[in-house]
Amino acid sequence: MKLKICGMKYQDNIKHVATLQPDYLGFIFYEKSARNFDSESIPDIDEAIKKTGVFVDATLEFVIDKINKHNLQAVQLHGNESPEYCSTLKSEKVEIIKVFSVKDEFNFERLKPYEAVCDFFLFDTKGKHPGGNGYTFDWNLLSDYPSTKPFFLSGGIGLEEIEDIKQFTNSKASKYCYALDVNSKFEIEPGLKNIEALKAFKKNLSEVLDYKKEHVMNYNVNEKGYYGEFGGAFIPEMLYPNVEELRQNYLKVMAEPDFIKEFDQLLKDYVGRPSPLYFAKRLSEKYNTKIYLKREDLNHTGAHKINNTIGQILMAKRLGKHRIIAETGAGQHGVATATVCALMGLECIVYMGEIDIARQAPNVARMKMLGAKVVPALSGSRTLKDATNEAIRDWINNPVDTHYIIGSAIGPHPYPDMVTRFQSVISEEIKWQLKEQTGNENPDYLVACIGGGSNAAGTYYHYLHEPEVGIIAVEAAGLGVDSGESAATSVLGKEGIIHGCKTLLMQTKDGQITEPYSISAGLDYPGVGPMHAHLAKTGRAEFMAITDDDAMNAGLELCKLEGIIPAIESSHALAIFEQRKFKPNDVVVVSLSGRGDKDLNNYIEYFKI
Amino acid sequence: MNRIQTKLAEDKKLLSIYFTAGYPNIDDTATIIENLEKNGVDMIEIGLPFSDPLADGPTIQASSTAALKNGMTTEVLFEQLKDIRKTVNIPLIIMGYFNPMFQYGVEAFCKKCQEIGIDGLIIPDLPVDVYHEEYQAIFEKYGLINVFLITPQTSDERIHYIDSISNGFIYMVSSASTTGAQSGFGTVQTEYFERIGKMNLKNPQVIGFGISNNETFTQATQYAKGAIIGSAFVKHVTNNGVNSIDTFVNSILN
Repeated sequence: MKLKICGMKYQDNIKHVATLQPDYLGFIFYEKSARNFDSESIPDIDEAIKKTGVFVDATLEFVIDKINKHNLQAVQLHGNESPEYCSTLKSEKVEIIKVFSVKDEFNFERLKPYEAVCDFFLFDTKGKHPGGNGYTFDWNLLSDYPSTKPFFLSGGIGLEEIEDIKQFTNSKASKYCYALDVNSKFEIEPGLKNIEALKAFKKNLSEVLDYKKEHVMNYNVNEKGYYGEFGGAFIPEMLYPNVEELRQNYLKVMAEPDFIKEFDQLLKDYVGRPSPLYFAKRLSEKYNTKIYLKREDLNHTGAHKINNTIGQILMAKRLGKHRIIAETGAGQHGVATATVCALMGLECIVYMGEIDIARQAPNVARMKMLGAKVVPALSGSRTLKDATNEAIRDWINNPVDTHYIIGSAIGPHPYPDMVTRFQSVISEEIKWQLKEQTGNENPDYLVACIGGGSNAAGTYYHYLHEPEVGIIAVEAAGLGVDSGESAATSVLGKEGIIHGCKTLLMQTKDGQITEPYSISAGLDYPGVGPMHAHLAKTGRAEFMAITDDDAMNAGLELCKLEGIIPAIESSHALAIFEQRKFKPNDVVVVSLSGRGDKDLNNYIEYFKI
Repeated sequence: MNRIQTKLAEDKKLLSIYFTAGYPNIDDTATIIENLEKNGVDMIEIGLPFSDPLADGPTIQASSTAALKNGMTTEVLFEQLKDIRKTVNIPLIIMGYFNPMFQYGVEAFCKKCQEIGIDGLIIPDLPVDVYHEEYQAIFEKYGLINVFLITPQTSDERIHYIDSISNGFIYMVSSASTTGAQSGFGTVQTEYFERIGKMNLKNPQVIGFGISNNETFTQATQYAKGAIIGSAFVKHVTNNGVNSIDTFVNSILN
């Protein structure tokens, strides 16, 4: 657990306290506080210590001024700051800690609007002042904490609470406790900290403070746009204004009540959500485990892709864009984009590799019927990678009126995070659907196929910080991982930069990006989303690679056993049951990301039907 | 003083030429550089080809694909350039995308550049803040000048930031476009050139994208210290090979 020492005021005392190496040091910028920090500057302290500004209903200008002036890495908000306020500050690249005061009870519903726009919650004792009241609240209330957002525990923590803290850390209530926040109980006078008392506290709690719980590992994007070492925005300057505009606005827009309302409404009435979670009885019998299929194939347009295009088209409208561009490989994302453009009456241009246009004729026709212009990508290998290059070039040439709807959890920050959030409706539904059907919202395993990784990101999102839920990511091995004709990026890829982000990608030793191969056009991408690269690197997810043959057979098996024709992409996820054994009582949720209609020709050719 | 800075201090308008290394033929690199200098070019951008050049239009894309097919790699380029300073004195800049440099190792790449006598780098997809936080110290250690791009959409605040990080020149992209996309400048561009001119930046500006002939070169250098020609030159060597570089350079300067 981390330690935050708050209410720092005096220069020498700050330097002294910093030598104790707390994780956060708090500076209160609130005139009514006895600990108001009014010095010109904060002395130089170890860069590993996050300087945190504490504010109470201050104006945004005031907060931003303090962030810049004192180089703050975090802000802690103690007043009635709105979610929109938090998201504006989030674009200042600082961690956002939103404070909630707790006394005898707490309505956890209040946290919901802040989930998307804060990095941490902080629970403090309700009292006369906004913080620093000097007594604790009943920590057992946190047993009902419904969120997975890490939180700071605050309010009256002192040396006398050491035993209580030890007890607390062994209880369920502490599951998402990220840090302890101390202040008034360690003071000689307001703002002047007692070094010896702090030392004793640290020493007595060293087991607690040094113990790194697995769930405290952060799998979400950080304030700079990285998942661990992956992500970022490696873009030419020509794209900077577009991407920056999106970065500054996406969380703010996504937190707006009327945006949420419109998004939810369209997902329900137009897409047909919630998509069923189906217990596949005969498939489960065959593999002697409990297999549930998340039926994204039943969405309008036949795949999960529409979740993201609905979200992004609403985003584009709010940013005042009236021209939409997209890339597509197999055509599923192109169709989903053309669909929402028709729905909203916006101009739509889809870039598609010349080779893909030839092999995906029905989807090309669909896009045209929906009013989109399909532009062939003629450069390079003339497939998805090059279609993406062409879409980026279009955006460079049309920086003002155009929004680029990227179809996967790839690209420069904030795209991977934005796409993941739009797709996270998948895991949000799995949670309540599974609880309804099994009594437990957590499965033992989640399985999804990965190209760029958007259906996988959505399937995992609300479970990333539930260590008891195993995550399995299935890549396309093509003709075999070592055959030279494969798309198994986590095995064959090396860290590098593709389409604006740092991730694992298939490349020559010279850094030239190579062409992947898979029978499934949707998995045929030389990179993988940065979140997945991070999940691979940290070992949070187990990666498996499935060949064309195994995927095709698994697809046909689902037809025969369950009466469902899956997309070849999703068939890769289904193929793992031949290779990996599960226990009879394991609950395994597989994302059935798309339906197989588009692949009929492939199935016909392959099985000589 | 770095050769780029010395050149920028000269009292004249500068002509800078970009070419793709390994194109049209793998061994043309030194010939092209020597011919450009001989014919009065002031500075050269040597393009290290990349499989996915996001900021480039069809001409430079095609030359990059061909160069890679010809066998151009980072190693080969460094080998071709190892004796270049025996014959060439003007500033040499390597222009390329970040991934090949990242794979070579940024420090190893910079060190090699210094050994050869490369003066600077232009890396369109290495953002200024990442450079500043992670790589600036390495570039400076090996005496390399990193050149950043600005566009008509770049805010004044960001231009000042880029100016503060730069110590050579600022590459002023003439319009919102990939390379080789347009010809001639309209009032939108000239107003933008004037706006930047009035900002009193500490680094001189060199205009690129859309310069293809004497007219556009003359126009651009009314507002800036120099101009860069890329696609038009690549087209010229595509059509005429490397032996008539003099014709091309003369057509620009006279």
